[in-house]
This record gives sequence, C-alpha cells and structure tokens, in this order.
Amino acid sequence: MLWNKNLEEEYIYRGINVKLFQNLVYQIKEVIEEEFGVTDETGLILGCSNESRVGGIHPSVQKFAESKDAGAVYNGVTLQKIFLKNKLEFVAFINTSDSSSQKFLSLISINITNIKYYFEEKFDKGNFIKNIILDNILPGDISLKAKELHLPLNAFRTVFLIKTGKLKEIYSHEITQSLFPNKAKDFVIVLDDENTALIKELKTGDDFKDIDRTAKSIIDTLNTELMVKAQIGIGTIVDNIRDLGRSFKEAQTALQIGSIFENDKAIINYNNLGIGRLIYQLPPTLCKLFLKEVFTVGSFESLDTETLFTIQKFFENNLNVSETSRQLYVHRNTLVYRLDKIQKITGLDLRNFDDAIIFKVSMLVKKYLDKAEKLV
Amino acid sequence: MASVKLKNVYKRFDGGVTAVSDFNLDIADKEFIILVGPSGCGKTTTLRMVAGLEEISEGEVYIGDKLVNDVQPKDRDIAMVFQNYALYPHMTVFDNMAFGLKLRKTPKDEIKKRVREAAKVLEIEHLLDRKPKALSGGQRQRVALGRAIVRDPKVFLMDEPLSNLDAKLRVQMRLEITKLHQKLQTTFIYVTHDQTEAMTMGTRIVVMKDGFVQQVDSPSALYDRPNNMFVAGFIGSPQMNLINVMIEKRGANIHLVFGGHDIKLVESKAKQLEGTDYIGKEVVMGIRPESMHDEDTFLEAMPESIVEAKVEVVEMLGSETLLHMFIDEISCTARVNPRTKTRSGDVVKIAIDTNRVHLFDKETERTIIN
Repeated sequence: MLWNKNLEEEYIYRGINVKLFQNLVYQIKEVIEEEFGVTDETGLILGCSNESRVGGIHPSVQKFAESKDAGAVYNGVTLQKIFLKNKLEFVAFINTSDSSSQKFLSLISINITNIKYYFEEKFDKGNFIKNIILDNILPGDISLKAKELHLPLNAFRTVFLIKTGKLKEIYSHEITQSLFPNKAKDFVIVLDDENTALIKELKTGDDFKDIDRTAKSIIDTLNTELMVKAQIGIGTIVDNIRDLGRSFKEAQTALQIGSIFENDKAIINYNNLGIGRLIYQLPPTLCKLFLKEVFTVGSFESLDTETLFTIQKFFENNLNVSETSRQLYVHRNTLVYRLDKIQKITGLDLRNFDDAIIFKVSMLVKKYLDKAEKLV
Repeated sequence: MASVKLKNVYKRFDGGVTAVSDFNLDIADKEFIILVGPSGCGKTTTLRMVAGLEEISEGEVYIGDKLVNDVQPKDRDIAMVFQNYALYPHMTVFDNMAFGLKLRKTPKDEIKKRVREAAKVLEIEHLLDRKPKALSGGQRQRVALGRAIVRDPKVFLMDEPLSNLDAKLRVQMRLEITKLHQKLQTTFIYVTHDQTEAMTMGTRIVVMKDGFVQQVDSPSALYDRPNNMFVAGFIGSPQMNLINVMIEKRGANIHLVFGGHDIKLVESKAKQLEGTDYIGKEVVMGIRPESMHDEDTFLEAMPESIVEAKVEVVEMLGSETLLHMFIDEISCTARVNPRTKTRSGDVVKIAIDTNRVHLFDKETERTIIN
C-alpha cells in the first residue's frame, strides 16, 4: 500500500475524493465479472473490484503510460488512458482481452471523466470564487459553501481584473498563477481570451500602496515574459467573501472608465477614478446637450492638435502663462495670441478659472461621448 | 546584436497630450545608451515604443535594418527588464529563468543550455536550485536579468531596473550591469531618472524634458558642454549654480555683474561673446560647485572674480566638503577641499573660476558660451 488512508476518509487525490473511485467500481462490479479498476498514470491503484489491490501499483501501467498508444493489451490485461484537459490523468484496466473489454473501459472512462468534472464543479475553490464574482451563486449559499470548502468568510481580499491583448499560444493567467501560487488564498480565474481575474487575500496592514505595488509587478512581469501590453482594474478591499462580486464589478468599472479617460494608464483603481466616475454616469443625451450649450457647432473640432496640446500644458501649469510658454518653448506673446484665438473660436477665456473648468469638463465629456459612439 | 534607429517619432495620447515629440536617435550596435530626464519627460514611453508595447503615433522605428512599427513586440527580438520585477516564489532560480522559454515551447535541452550560460555570465550558477526566498536583493536582481538574457535578444531594454533597490545595492548593481554589457556585447537601452546612474553607466546619454530631446552626448560632453540651462542643471550633483548676471563691456574686458558683485570674465570666454548682442543684457551664469573655491591659492590667483558668501551649512562628505551658502540672496553650493576651515555661519570669500563659467540666454535658456 502506498497510502494508508482509510477509504472512508475524505481523502482528495487529483481533485477527486478517492472514495468516489471505489464507489464507481462497486456499482460497475455488478455488471462486469472480470477484475477491473482505475490507476493514476504512475500505476497507483485508486479503485479496484478486488479491493485488496487498492493503494498498490499495477505492474503494466507505467510502461503503457509511457507508450504513445491510447489503448493496449499487456499480458492479457486491457488498458485505456483517460485524458483530462489533454493531460493523461488516469488509466482504466480490465483483466481480460476479449472483444467487450474495450467497450467496458470506454464506459468506465466516461464515468471517471464525469466524476472529475462533477467534483471540480462542486468542490473546486476556484470555481466557487468564479461563481461568486459572476453572480452565479445565491447569496445565501455563499457562507455555507465557503464553510464546506474551508474558505474563511472574513478575510481582506481584493479583485484585480487583468486585461491583455489576445494571445494565440501563451496565456497571461499562467504568469499570474505562477506569481501567486498559494491556491488556498489567491485565485486566478480565466474569464476569456483577454481577461483574467486575480482574487487576492491581503495581509494584515496591506493598504492601497501595497495593492498598487502588486499590480505593478503583474504588469511588469506580463510585459517582460509575454511582451504584451496589459491593463489592470482594481476593485475596493472587501472583508467578506460575499462582497467579492462587488469588488469584481468595481474592477470592471475601473477598466471601462480608465479606457475612456485614462487610456495611457496601466493601473486603474476604482477608488481613484476622479471626475471620470461622475461623467461616466451621465446619460449621453445630457452630455450632448451640455456640449451643444458650451460650444457652437463645430467649434471644438476646429481646434487642431497643437492648440489642444497648448491647452493641456496650460492646464498642467495651473493657468500660468509664463510657465506654460517656457515649457512650450514659445514666447509669452505667442501663447497669449493662441489663448485669444481659442477664446474667439470657443467663446471661453481659459485664463478665467470658471471658463477653464467648463472647457476641462467639456473635453472629458467629449472623450466619453466619442468612446460611447465607437462602442455603439 | 543590432542597431536601433528612431526617426521623427511622436507619441500622442488621447486628449491631445504629446508625450514624445520628434524623437530622432541612432543607436549603434553594442552601444549602451541611457535615456534620462525627470518624471513625465517621455523616456519610458520612448522605450516602450521601441519594445512595441506602446503604439507609435508618427515616425519610424528600426531594429537593425528592419522597420518594426507594425511588428509585434514578441517578434522584435528584444528583452525587457523593469523596475517592479517579481520572481515566481514557488520556483527555483533555474525555473524562474526558464519559465518564459517553457511558455514559448523551447526544447528542453535548449532551455537548459541557455539558462546555464546566462547563470554563468551572471555568476549565479551555484544558486540555480534555490528558491527566491533564499536569495539576497542583489541575487534576485541578477535572476531578473537572467530571465532577459536567456532569450538571447538583439537589444536589451531596461526601465529603471534599480529603482527599488537600496542605495548601496544600487551602486553595486550599476557596476554589474556595466560589466554585463561588456560581457554580452549587445545593444542596451536603459531608462533612468537618476543622473548619477546615467553618467556612470552610459556610453552616450539622451537627456529628455517634456517629450523633447534636449541633448545627446557622452557623459563628459554633457557635463562640460551642456546645450541649454536644463541640461546644465540636470546633469551633475550637486547641480550647477545658476545666477542672473548683467554682461558689461569695459574696454577690452567683459564683466559679469550681479547684486553687489562684479567678476571679470577670462579672455578666452570674453572672445566668445564678441559679435553677439548679449552685451548690456541680463543672462544666466552657470558655475559648477567645484569651480567655486575658498582656498587661499585660488583667491590669490583669481583676484578679479572674488565674491563674498554667507555659509549656511557645511556638509563634510569625507573626500570633499560642500558649502551651502548665499551670495547676496542667491543660494549656491561650492565643493571645496575637505581640509577647509570654513564653518557654518562664516562669511567667506569665494573665487569663481571664470574659465569654467557657462552663460545661458535668459529667455530661450539656450547656451551662449560653454
């Protein structure tokens, strides 16, 4: 015996309770008279109609596992490989080589695969967390299930939503999973080709600076290893597992708002969305009305890139003409001329604080509308 | 190994922000070039455009002879090292270095060969079986470099890789990276905001500000012959003293007048001002701290360029002493002999070595004479 665990115990092997292998064998035993069973790819017998062999090593499996054959007969024993997610996980065997043996093994394989998926669905912690963030579980069931899976209900956690470009062969989740290998505390969930969520348990005393540092290290590692551009949206810190869904939605919102207002930023924190958060909530019709009120038709569009750059610098320098002209390498009078021109086109004197605010908000509203139109 | 060329490169973000403007640079094969400048000057954006992690708004980027504007980052044959590097905690050093290659499905023997070779270059062969937890900060940094080396890239791009290290380790790793460049004989493009790092590591330095290249030159040329006031102030620590002065011509001589002080410019410098329209105008005088002296020998040798200064703080650094002082109301720093007897609160005479004076246009900030 390679393990002395009593089969009555809840012993999990390869993500399956070993008791289930033997239960399956008991049920099939009533139909098949010959000795049969299931091993892992090394030959360790996990379930067998001859119960005394459980825990021992099957003499033919290792050699068979190394071969390229999906099924074969060794010394009168028919063997069949069971692949899960393209990986050899188990081998089914039956001590006969007659014509029906292959059929029996195929049926056993189907059952083992189903058990595995059922078990994964039911007892996989990652799957449970995925169901929470995607609202696929009733709120009332969360606490119960968390207890069943030995997951602490109350722990500080946050959600990082990692968005990368589409990758053909290599996936960002493998990198993220390798960076956070503690599967009891951190969960990496693949959402689609481009999005991966990391649900991370925080250490006591971790604050947003630590969270930001974690996000930076994910971005830098993805850049280094995959040479791919990545963006991360971060939700708020939650202290109850039930609230992870909220943190995930916040991370999604952060990415959405960030892609409109802060496209050049790699890390966007939900707690730090600024005025973008307000504008994002406004209905487009209201935004259009606002722009119509501020600008006469076509006036905003008539501002060229150089003028927009001038305005940007002027705002960055707190409406200081001297400092802006110095940074733009232009004479002060040139800048004054440009500001006058902007006033003529838009009716807004950017040297005036109120007008400057209206222009700044208008630029953000325009950005939002442009993006919204693109999405439509 | 490859040359890198950036031709009229621009980066404009949504909303009109231009992060990089008309960037032109030819980086020779095997060169170690540094992009340096204050935060937000566009150096990282430029590096990311070379890597392909940032789209180019306008212009062309070549790696070797190949135009790479539309080439995917992973196909550009480059490797990057960043500031916030993280090692995979559950993997050994070997696996950490091999992980990227494994993801790319590189044959096992090839991975083994490349990791061993990189470990030899970095002198971490004895650490290959250790986990990151058992490594010192410097060793971890080497593993991060190793992850880039195993790719055997044509160009290494490094974005402030030493910023997260403590001061002592940073100095040590600076030397390690310079040695690594010599060993690998590959093109290095290195981004930093630390001018000391730039001066000590690069064969050429690109100084940037507000998205514009200010000057591309060797470290010594940047120090001795800055193109403008920004480069003069940015390069050098403590930074160059900048004082507004009036240029006055008296007979054949040129005098620089400020506050109650009047210093005579040496003949060679005065000649450079001939034919310019700066006579009678206010300009900015730049003088490096080491060109201001309190020793008697200098005071005797330069009687026509002596000013009076009130010393606020004396910083003794062992090999040198810094005098932080006020000349009239202008704050200045002098780097003097450590045996100086000057103490805080003293009013002392300071000789300005006018052979080493720089003059800048007050309006354009461009250099008039170096």
